[in-house]
Amino acid sequence: MTTRYLRLGAVGIVAAVGLTACAGNTTTGSTPAESSAPAAEKVSLQYLHRLPDGEGMTKIADIVAKWNAEHPDIQVEATKFDGQAAEMVKKLENDVKADSAACLAQVGYAEVPSLYTKGLLEDVTAEAAKYTANFSEGAQGLMKVGDISVGLPQDTGPLVYYYNKAEFEKLGLDVPTTADELVATAAKAAEQGKYITAFQPDEAQYWLAAQSAAAGATWYTVENDAWKVNVTSEETAKVADTWQQMLDAKTTLVENRWGDGFKAALIDQSLIGTVGAAWEAPLLAGDMAGSDNEGQWAVTQLPMFATQQMTGPDGGSGVAVMKGCDHPAQAMEFNNWLNTQIDDLATQGLVVAAKGTVTTPESVSDFYGGQDVFAELAAANDTLNPAFGYMPTWPAIADPMAKAAAAAGDGSGKVADIFTAAQDASVSSLKDAGLPVA
Amino acid sequence: MTTSVVDRGAAARPAQTPRRAGRAASRPGRRRTVLAGWGFLAPFAILFAFCFLIPIGVSIYQSFFRGVASGGGLYGGGELVNQFVGFENYVHYATSSAFWAGMGRVFLFGIVQVPLMILSALGLALLLDSASVRRVAGFRLGYFLPYAVPGVVAALIWTYMYNPQFSPINQVLGLFGGHIDFFAPNIILWSMANMTTWTFTGYNMLIFLAALQSIPHELYEAARMEGASEWTIVWAIKVPLVRNAMLLAVLLSIIGTVQLFNEPTVLQAVNPWMGADYTPMMMAYNTMMGGLSPSGDGPASAISILMALIAGVLAVGYALLQKKAD
Repeated sequence: MTTRYLRLGAVGIVAAVGLTACAGNTTTGSTPAESSAPAAEKVSLQYLHRLPDGEGMTKIADIVAKWNAEHPDIQVEATKFDGQAAEMVKKLENDVKADSAACLAQVGYAEVPSLYTKGLLEDVTAEAAKYTANFSEGAQGLMKVGDISVGLPQDTGPLVYYYNKAEFEKLGLDVPTTADELVATAAKAAEQGKYITAFQPDEAQYWLAAQSAAAGATWYTVENDAWKVNVTSEETAKVADTWQQMLDAKTTLVENRWGDGFKAALIDQSLIGTVGAAWEAPLLAGDMAGSDNEGQWAVTQLPMFATQQMTGPDGGSGVAVMKGCDHPAQAMEFNNWLNTQIDDLATQGLVVAAKGTVTTPESVSDFYGGQDVFAELAAANDTLNPAFGYMPTWPAIADPMAKAAAAAGDGSGKVADIFTAAQDASVSSLKDAGLPVA
Repeated sequence: MTTSVVDRGAAARPAQTPRRAGRAASRPGRRRTVLAGWGFLAPFAILFAFCFLIPIGVSIYQSFFRGVASGGGLYGGGELVNQFVGFENYVHYATSSAFWAGMGRVFLFGIVQVPLMILSALGLALLLDSASVRRVAGFRLGYFLPYAVPGVVAALIWTYMYNPQFSPINQVLGLFGGHIDFFAPNIILWSMANMTTWTFTGYNMLIFLAALQSIPHELYEAARMEGASEWTIVWAIKVPLVRNAMLLAVLLSIIGTVQLFNEPTVLQAVNPWMGADYTPMMMAYNTMMGGLSPSGDGPASAISILMALIAGVLAVGYALLQKKAD
């Protein structure tokens, strides 16, 4: 999700294998496992998150303090994890082994199957059933492995299309509503020296998977109780073809999402549109703060890759109950409360998964010319492809995809190769983990 | 020195009967010394065990295991078990082209960067050691400063310096019509070499400077009286006498090169074509974090043990070569 950017948790040299034994079990505070208090008595829970907690946001600690004041029997202590998502997963892994894990932890939807397979998540299906009315069905599905619920959803990241409305009008461009229009409009814009999309090799995995979902693809299905990997389907080929056309015609900018060039192109207005996740709304506003772009941009639905309006999930996360949590019922009670604090969570830049209306923070709507951005994002949420799910070794295909995407970007490879790489890496990583492949 | 201490010890015990004084006094005395010795050693020994011996032991143990799904079904029953796989992890990486490609990169990096860095460090140390430099402390600190900058921060700064769009280096080169793409696949290794050279030259210089300053100055006096020039003193006295320091510096550099991690990791974030297995250390880290398959502690440990073995062979090889040359 949001914090997937800047991979500088690289302080991880420390993690240099051998040291794990030394650095591993840094537990945060008291261990819930030790307090064998009966459920009726006072319960204390740990909650580990990696939300931004930035300037002007309602701090997670303050939200939790509200809960603590109202629930003297269930006291929650929130801890912010500074570092990459993968590093937090590693910490949780070590903590569960040491039986000292936090009861609740933020996990990316795509990581859920992987964490469950590693034995890190508690089955809280019965508890989750109590709160089904509060969350969108698609988002709840992302916190499930098969029929088992492991927590509750918090935010989603449907792909949408961001564009500089003022520039589009100046150049006489219509906002593309289909993939074919995207290609045609990109060509028109390129004639006038502008790009309406950027091809982002560093985001290849989630970004292209989400577009494939928007095209109606389902990469991972089940056949005879085994994984059937279907990355190179016709639907996905449509996505590959769209980008290949733009790359061949040089009508798309090739820049890594988290490189300096991307931001520079936005600021100098050579890049006037981008296919991005919902959580990028505040980030793009932040990237272009203080430039001519303020007030010029707008958000709209992703151009259709299929015959109907549909989008795919690029990030987003939920709060899961960790293995070994002694008070799963209380943990889920808090989990439900926390994830329905819609306005507070929206200040963190989240597109909240809970049902209900959210007011767009002023800082965001100002940048987007007064648009009710969060309403548009919520509309995208409703068109998420509900069938697109992840496999347990999902993290392992990021690297082959990014490498192939970089090659496609510089012309030494094809976009279709990215999906071939994903297909091969999916099958081999599942086999490496000892999981059944059809 | 030593004798006077003993004497004083004996003198401090005048009450002892003279006959048995020698033995009786020395036994508990020696035991106390031994105990004190162990006492002084204990903090080191404990830390050494906890942060060195035990992790290595755990690593070796883990390297024979691999986490595999225990139960059946799509999610392996929601539990990974550590399965003993013997040497399978080692065989996997010893025959892995990705592992050897990474090793090849750091090797190529090392044979160019290490000599360059060691020679510049030696050069700087000789300059600072020469009488002509005033305010040595200021220079010493200046050269050493890059090493004090946290590695990741330094790598970030250099990433900016190398950035195709904003590189200040290219802006200067641009005045003369030049341009270097520091991130190009055949240049990026040398862009990193420049970063590590910048970081560690001062560090190695300190090793050399310490060695130079421990050389008795009488040697120089004698040489001068024999009519030796300053150059002759450098080549005939200073350089030969810092050979041991050089052995140490090169060994540290070889080990450091095999573990190359910070620079490529930061550059890889903006150059995804490099891959998560660009260097063996990155491969070990990303294998442990689940970013490369097979993943987990077992395979990652196997990579690190292989790295340690290769670094060991290279270091011992170099040490023997230098001994031979001497």
